[in-house]
Amino acid sequence: MHSFLLYIDPGSGSYLVQVIVAGVLGIAFFFKNIVFTVKHFFQRIFGNKSKLP
Amino acid sequence: MVVQFDQHSSSLRDPSGFLFYKDGVLYRQVNKSFQKDFDQFINGGLYQHLVGRKLLIAHEPIPGNLTGSPQWHATLRPEPIPFISYPYEWCFDMLKDAALVTLQAAREAISFGMILRDATAYNIQLHHSRPTFIDTLSFEHYDESKSWVAYRQFCQHFFAPLALMHYLNKPLQGLLLSYFEGIPLDITSEMLPFKSKLNLHTYLHVHLQASLSQKQPTRVKDQEQPFTSKKMLNLLESLEHAVSSFSFKEIPTVWSTYYPEAENRGNYLSSKRQIVDDWLHRLNFESVLDVGANEGEFTSIAAANSDYVISADQDHASINKLYNKVKQQGLTNIYPVIIDFANPSPSIGVNNEERASFLNRAKVDLALALALVHHLALGKNIPFSRIASMFFSVTNYLVIEFVPPYDEKVVLLTEHKKQLLATYTEEHFLQAFDPYFTILERHAISNSGRTLFLMKRLGSVQTN
Repeated sequence: MHSFLLYIDPGSGSYLVQVIVAGVLGIAFFFKNIVFTVKHFFQRIFGNKSKLP
Repeated sequence: MVVQFDQHSSSLRDPSGFLFYKDGVLYRQVNKSFQKDFDQFINGGLYQHLVGRKLLIAHEPIPGNLTGSPQWHATLRPEPIPFISYPYEWCFDMLKDAALVTLQAAREAISFGMILRDATAYNIQLHHSRPTFIDTLSFEHYDESKSWVAYRQFCQHFFAPLALMHYLNKPLQGLLLSYFEGIPLDITSEMLPFKSKLNLHTYLHVHLQASLSQKQPTRVKDQEQPFTSKKMLNLLESLEHAVSSFSFKEIPTVWSTYYPEAENRGNYLSSKRQIVDDWLHRLNFESVLDVGANEGEFTSIAAANSDYVISADQDHASINKLYNKVKQQGLTNIYPVIIDFANPSPSIGVNNEERASFLNRAKVDLALALALVHHLALGKNIPFSRIASMFFSVTNYLVIEFVPPYDEKVVLLTEHKKQLLATYTEEHFLQAFDPYFTILERHAISNSGRTLFLMKRLGSVQTN
């Protein structure tokens, strides 16, 4: 472990990390939601059709 | 007037309160400095909510200041847990469940305007057959602009060992004994294979965090980049998603097929069951330690007759299987732990007192040592006298099996160390136990050549 880490609080040390991680996750979840919505949209169309006699 | 009480040796780091014993009862004091957060925790409904969902241990508020401390705000009596275990003794599935309980408690707290400020694995104990959060003082008022203070701690205590066990498929819980504050992320990152970088969550929480932590931190003012509750929930969801996806594929060991193989040895196993069951029905005991429990065949017999059983084995696969049985069947009085009796967990932490050694935590009324002694004496070269003194330090009654030198398992064990056989006799065995125990009964197990002994300790051990 690098020596400067010994002088900072474990919580505050991970603040920047969390800002970056949460930022990346925000983008990832945003696209995941879009994919989910699109998938759901097509599933609704094709799903309904398949139920037709 | 000086008030007599004993502060719990593992309760020393948190200024907001501490655990103490008074007249043999365990209490928790809440200090004035934590009054505001604690009152919000109780009056805001989070405490009831978490207890109702079986995520947190319940307590009873006790009137009065039992310690005489000027710092006193409240006294609580937590529901007692008969046996405390530590993460380096847990199997993969228990560590994973403990991580999920921690994350769930953190998520539920947010909807009550509070945040989990402490995510150490030591805050979880097996209680009523499920991992349960035990530190009532770990919840504080949530400031949405702040990041998660326990993030790195969670990653080191839970995410790192689980990711290592998932990707390497090896039982690595023992690493937590070396790394008291969780496995450092730079070490975890180095140990993980390249494919772990292709998983977004593992990449972010281990690899990216490890590399960013090694850079000189630049001062980031909270006002410049405020955190939000949305970001916090994303963070928790990501951790939960990753932890849920981690799995451990058991590679069958010689112990996984122990019972099916033993069942084939005539009526050896059924005869042994009958003798043990008969003795257990005639003895008076509350606590049991099953040493070399395997998947808990005899633990179940003992559990039906006692308050609780500590079921210990060195084999991860066996204990993982037993843990899942305990969880699925709601067996509330069985505590499965991974322990190597040639090297049981030592006492560690501040003054070597913070986390007690296994033998100190496992003082019981009755110990079972079935088909075990030959593994310790011949497999690990431990003299009978040391095995006897180990049992003397933990139990009042002992049911112990002696496997004779001509037994096929003994022949296998001594194939390359025949010199050990000179002192491996029933006579030497009994001589070694003589200074510590008296033999109450002995019984041959069918025609296997093996013998069961029921022994009573000379003088009694102080049970927990």
